[in-house]
Amino acid sequence: MDTNEPIIEISHLKKSFGDNQVLKGIDFTLSKNETVVVLGKSGCGKSILIKCIVGLVKPDSGLLKVLGKNIFELNQHQLDMIREKIGFVFQNSALYDSMTVRENLEFPLRKHNKKKSLAEVNELVKEALINVGLLDAINMMPSELSGGMRKRVGLARSLILKPEIMLYDEPTTGLDPITAKEITGLMLKMQKKYNISSIVISHDMTCARLTANRMLVLIDGIFYAQGTFDELQKSPDEKIHAFFE
Amino acid sequence: MKLKAVEQFLIGIAGLTRFAFRFFKEVFTPPFELKETLKQAYEVGYRSLPLVGLTAFIMGLVIAMQSRPTLIEFGAGAWLPAMSGVSIIREIGPVVTALMCAGKVGSNIGAELGSMKVTEQIDAMEVSGTNPFKFVVVTRIVATTLMLPVLTVFADSFSLYGAFVATNIKGHISFSLFFNQVFEKLVFLDVVPSLTKTIFFGFAIGLVSCYQGYNSQKGTVGVGKSANAAVVMSSLLIFIIDLLAVQITNLFMKY
Repeated sequence: MDTNEPIIEISHLKKSFGDNQVLKGIDFTLSKNETVVVLGKSGCGKSILIKCIVGLVKPDSGLLKVLGKNIFELNQHQLDMIREKIGFVFQNSALYDSMTVRENLEFPLRKHNKKKSLAEVNELVKEALINVGLLDAINMMPSELSGGMRKRVGLARSLILKPEIMLYDEPTTGLDPITAKEITGLMLKMQKKYNISSIVISHDMTCARLTANRMLVLIDGIFYAQGTFDELQKSPDEKIHAFFE
Repeated sequence: MKLKAVEQFLIGIAGLTRFAFRFFKEVFTPPFELKETLKQAYEVGYRSLPLVGLTAFIMGLVIAMQSRPTLIEFGAGAWLPAMSGVSIIREIGPVVTALMCAGKVGSNIGAELGSMKVTEQIDAMEVSGTNPFKFVVVTRIVATTLMLPVLTVFADSFSLYGAFVATNIKGHISFSLFFNQVFEKLVFLDVVPSLTKTIFFGFAIGLVSCYQGYNSQKGTVGVGKSANAAVVMSSLLIFIIDLLAVQITNLFMKY
């Protein structure tokens, strides 16, 4: 892949659910090492957009290229190879309830990197947990973890394959301000450590301010505005300014 | 209104049929999730054994206690072991086991898969490169299909022992005589069809429960509805399969 080529390239992406057209023609590119924060009201289609990027939701029309590949032309094996390079942090962490923290982290490794030995797998799990400061919780069940710990484990699980792209679906929602700041700090640390390009969906303006190179505002199914945090904060447009109040 | 209900019913049947076809497509193609299948078999089989065993023992006890006065009235008290044996092996054992599993295992699968769906665990599996249908659905359906016949054999044993205990409460019969009389009257067409139908009971419980959970609607209400529908539909299907099994078995019976 050409180094100047965008990591993610989306054009004219449309998605409807019945009569409700959620995405009405999204155009967007994500460059290498860039972090883009997407703002938008609840239910406006932000999560659908990032689910389209990993192939969890199929759009009605449009072009969607990830790492130079049109993901809807790929077979299952090729799609899995692309997914290996994408980390996805779900809104509610989506930890597997029936598995321990260790098993949760081992899960992405079972399909990918099958040739890894047990010692290598253990090393990767430990490294991922040390990164998020939760090595002590390795044998705990998700039900024993606090909200912040669950988010950290979710982050560690999505980082275990050392992805090139991270997609965060409201990573700090539901957390107290101190824990939210810790998670934001972790996101920044991991982005720098592994040179990750990211899309962050968030309503948390502190998180957005600290992480975003660029911000996009999704209103009525299109990207209504884009700019840096400061540019959007100073915008005279009421629709944009409402997010900063 | 009635048309809408009929439409919903037909959509449900079509969805379940597609789900079953997908199961048969995925079950024979690698990768085979053997470790997870064994784990599910342990959950379905071993963990259900105390409940199924106790229920079957009580049912055997009740059957023998209730039949005894009537058989004695007709001068057929000596037939109690044989009659209990045939009832238990043909019907009580398989159906009680299946109904208990529909309640315990069906609700568990429906609620668990519903929660996994609602909390995006199924999506997380897919993003991790694991086929969630294979990992979550196929393993559970295989486990219920394989474990129901095994549980039924145990249930039959506990139930027969219950009948033996009941027979000894008001009379006296030795253990060996009781079981000699039971097995003397049992024939191929008592044992094989009753065990064969439990394979279908297990498949129905697994299929319906997984279908309800996997297609759960968002929210806790959706999870509750999935668990409930899993139990109700599985129980109903058990009786329908039982009815069909009796009809088919009767084709081969002399009387």
